[in-house]
Amino acid sequence: MVEEENKRAFIKNIILRVLKAASWGFVTYILVYYPLVLMYPSGAMPFEYSQLFNVFVAMVVFFAVITKLFSGTILEYAFSVAKALFMIIYFFYAFNGGAIGLTVPVSETTVNLVLDLRAFLAVLILVNLLALSKSVLQATEFLARKVEASELSVR
Amino acid sequence: MKQVIRALGWATSTLWIFIIVFSVTALYSVSNIDIGLGEAQIFASSEGMMFSLPFRIDNKGYHDISELNITTRVTDCNGTLITSSQTLVPLVSKGSSIETAHNISISLKDIMSIEFTPLLFSDSFFDLGTFISLNFAHTIPFQMSTNATILWGAPFYEFSTVKVSTHPYNSTHWEVITSLSFENHAFLNITGIIQLEIYNNINEQVTSGETSMDVPSGSRYEGQVITYIDLVDASRLTESGNVRVNFMTPMFTLEWWSPYG
Repeated sequence: MVEEENKRAFIKNIILRVLKAASWGFVTYILVYYPLVLMYPSGAMPFEYSQLFNVFVAMVVFFAVITKLFSGTILEYAFSVAKALFMIIYFFYAFNGGAIGLTVPVSETTVNLVLDLRAFLAVLILVNLLALSKSVLQATEFLARKVEASELSVR
Repeated sequence: MKQVIRALGWATSTLWIFIIVFSVTALYSVSNIDIGLGEAQIFASSEGMMFSLPFRIDNKGYHDISELNITTRVTDCNGTLITSSQTLVPLVSKGSSIETAHNISISLKDIMSIEFTPLLFSDSFFDLGTFISLNFAHTIPFQMSTNATILWGAPFYEFSTVKVSTHPYNSTHWEVITSLSFENHAFLNITGIIQLEIYNNINEQVTSGETSMDVPSGSRYEGQVITYIDLVDASRLTESGNVRVNFMTPMFTLEWWSPYG
């Protein structure tokens, strides 16, 4: 009887978590995709950047869902660390190490454009490094709390 | 540890807000920069020609545009530098506009130099390299470069001299008629005087004369220079030799040697 109740509570908890994670993913999608589409209309973006943009939105939504799904567990922080690492690699790749070069054909000639975004990229990497260190500290604190609780229960 | 985590949280949030605000305002600013090009003008003087391209930048955005540098390099078909021009605009502050012009000067003295003299007699092309750099919001350097080919029309295209005839003029002189022809492929009209000196095959000057020219751009010139030589000197005029031609225009004077016969 107790076992069945526990099972039911577990399933209920899982369903609630999935629903919460799904709704959080949806909200993240709305908050990330639409403002970015307004800022960078997909028609104005070269194909490769359009693909990168879709990857960015997909990964942000994925990490939002997965961290929410595992919230309250150590995996929440592990995924937060993974997200920060992904963001750093993503931004470095998307910004081509800080120098974006484009060749645009204009009538009979070609125009070469070079945008130096190193300073901007540095800030983006810095913010993700801060997020990464925050997640590591949170994970440490979470483990410390768990150890403390288990030690108290043993006593 | 909680305080550190909280501080990191605040720092992360603050930086994200800064990044988002900067991105939004930067994109808004870029889309609100109004760049207008004026009508290109060509000024000709005795020292050369100047192409002037007026332009206007109206910065209606939230960020400054600084260190705007426009550089153009004109090289001939062999890559030899003909002229290089630079326009610097130190700052276009947010909400302000500037009006200036990029001037490309071509010195006739340079064009008349031995290196470029063939350009006066045969058509060619120039490479125009344009390089624009600026600093957006004092943090994002931007560079743009392009290359274009400009056709060069020679003012004395296919210049040729032909000694047409020599015949007695009067009891003391002979008349030498030398015909000249060329096509003015340049965009400017060529007006002035053509001075002609005929030298024989041992490089002695035999006779000289001059004629005027007024050749509109894109048209052909066919003229004659009639010179006279003393009967005594008639024998000095050989079947072949050289003609020294001086083109004297208000803009330049050019000396050219051409064989005849």
